[in-house]
Amino acid sequence: MPSVLSIVLLALAVTAPSTQDGEAPPILVTRQLAASEGLEQGQIIRLAPDSRGEGGRPFRIAGVYEPVPDPARLGTLPREVRLHLPDLLALTRSPDVPAGTEYVEAINIALVDPAEARNFARDLNARMPGVSARPAAEAAGSGATFQVLRRFHLAIALVTIIASTVFLLALTIMLVDERRETVGLLRLIGLPVRRILVQIFLEGLLIATAGGLIGLLLASASESLINAFFQWRYDTALVFVRITPYVAAACLAVAVPLGTIATVTASWVLLRRNALRLARR
Amino acid sequence: MKALGFAWRSLVRQPARAALGILGVAAVGALLFDMLLLSEGLVTSMRDLLDRTGYDIRVTATEALPGRGPRVTGASGTADALGALPQVRSAIAIRLADARLEGDGGVPLQVGFQGVAGGPGRPWTVLRGRDVQRPGEVVINEGIAGQRGLGPGDRMIFRPACDAESDAPPAVTLEIAGVAEFPFEAVNEGIAAGMLETIDTACGTGGRDEADLILVASTGDTDAAAAAAAALRPDLHAVTNSEVIERFSESGFTYFRQISAVLSAVTITFALLLITVLLTVSVNQRLGEIAALRALGLSQRRVVANVFCESALIVGAGGLLSLPLGILLAVWLDRILKSMPGLPAEMHFFVFQADALVLQVALLATTAVLAALYPMRIVARLPIAETLRNEVVS
Repeated sequence: MPSVLSIVLLALAVTAPSTQDGEAPPILVTRQLAASEGLEQGQIIRLAPDSRGEGGRPFRIAGVYEPVPDPARLGTLPREVRLHLPDLLALTRSPDVPAGTEYVEAINIALVDPAEARNFARDLNARMPGVSARPAAEAAGSGATFQVLRRFHLAIALVTIIASTVFLLALTIMLVDERRETVGLLRLIGLPVRRILVQIFLEGLLIATAGGLIGLLLASASESLINAFFQWRYDTALVFVRITPYVAAACLAVAVPLGTIATVTASWVLLRRNALRLARR
Repeated sequence: MKALGFAWRSLVRQPARAALGILGVAAVGALLFDMLLLSEGLVTSMRDLLDRTGYDIRVTATEALPGRGPRVTGASGTADALGALPQVRSAIAIRLADARLEGDGGVPLQVGFQGVAGGPGRPWTVLRGRDVQRPGEVVINEGIAGQRGLGPGDRMIFRPACDAESDAPPAVTLEIAGVAEFPFEAVNEGIAAGMLETIDTACGTGGRDEADLILVASTGDTDAAAAAAAALRPDLHAVTNSEVIERFSESGFTYFRQISAVLSAVTITFALLLITVLLTVSVNQRLGEIAALRALGLSQRRVVANVFCESALIVGAGGLLSLPLGILLAVWLDRILKSMPGLPAEMHFFVFQADALVLQVALLATTAVLAALYPMRIVARLPIAETLRNEVVS
């Protein structure tokens, strides 16, 4: 059943006519739009340039596509269709605009040498005052947004590490205190402080490594859960959490030394005490 | 001695342990507090910003954001007609455009350009100089004034970029009447504004009388004013501030609400586990002492209350400390997030809300109770004679 949709129109630039005479031009619709409006491949729908449906034309749904995930539009339903540029221009052209004098918002250009983008844009701006050319890297302002988000997440991670360190110190102090007598006895039977400290260091290293690895396993297990939740929540194919080798290495590089240092520091405070005092109940 | 005093002495006896426990709770509590502020901060800030403009209804041609969709035709007439409605106090039409501010041989500055018709009132506040009074005059914001060293009485050369469908118009010279503050201006963003005729002339679209949006201030009943506006021009979309906020809550920056929910849950679980472990280890180390106290006549209820009070003291002291820490942390995190491009300078991610504070207290209190449950159970079920015997034998 034909329906009138208020949509964002995106055009594919093609030079050839999109359809034969009498046949509804083909379009692609996003998966989300198809799902929300109950659209199917092969269905004929009407698209209009305004929300009142005036000037609408029939189009045939040639396929349903998954839109490229756009983090900048997170949370908005991508109600989009793609149609051939001549079809879009014919649909949106005002009656007073002669065919062939329409405009497009932007032209994407792929250079043979991408490194020349800035120079190319400068030359184009100088030669064609009516247009504004920018390298894609500069036009994609949203990139800065994700740099900011990265810094925000790093700040949260830093606070979490500080909180963990404080708790870790409290726990190690308690655990070391529990072994006060054992350490006192080892000192009394002749083991030097350094020897005991090395033992504690190795023990701390083992525990911290095991803890770090278990943490990574937990993170890996939750990675798919978090992605599944957010992908469901925002109906997107975006990946929110990805544990890369770099991230895993960074976590271990922080967790293992931190755990080891906390254990050794707490033990060092204990070992400085007199052996007899340690062994005495 | 009361249970609270007894618990206090137990903590003071091991100051390092107690201090670290409190500091840990303070750090976790600060993060939790910030996450609670973040969950609604952006929406609260947006609401505040919208309300401060003094206009409570936005009229556009379609549901698209202003500047991204078709314009309202017959803008001046529509603004005047809306302003004449009994439910409406004032209505102004605004047309938006980009412009390039030519420098003296320097790099051109990209700025936003606004043209306004209708009134009374303007969507900006004049800081220096005076307001625009005729076409050809503009007010500029501090972004332009600071970057270009311009002020009232100066002239500047503008090259507007108005419509993709029209040729690039020639540069125009405009007179600066004053320096103004715009509610939605971003950090370092340059904005200039004048009458609708000014932008029409600059764009070479004089007589078209189009606007990207019409701002309407109701006399009090916003819904009635919105309904009257919709009845006057059924082809337009009239949206109240509340509806904008609702739409914003559903789509804009929901990521921060989700991330704050996840981090709040993780933080509170983390705090719960660690306080439980701290108390449990602490109680296990003092089993002999507790058994001796029981043998001396202290009731089961009393020693259980002692453990609970220890938990309450650690969480309470840590929770109190978490508030100033949380505020400092929020300032830092807000500064990081506000460096996002295009964000209004007056918008904040972390905004203090009494509800967040109440929720923080409730969550920490629940944590204190839950964290104390297991160690309280150990103490409650402690076999006195067996524990004392084990102490003596060991």
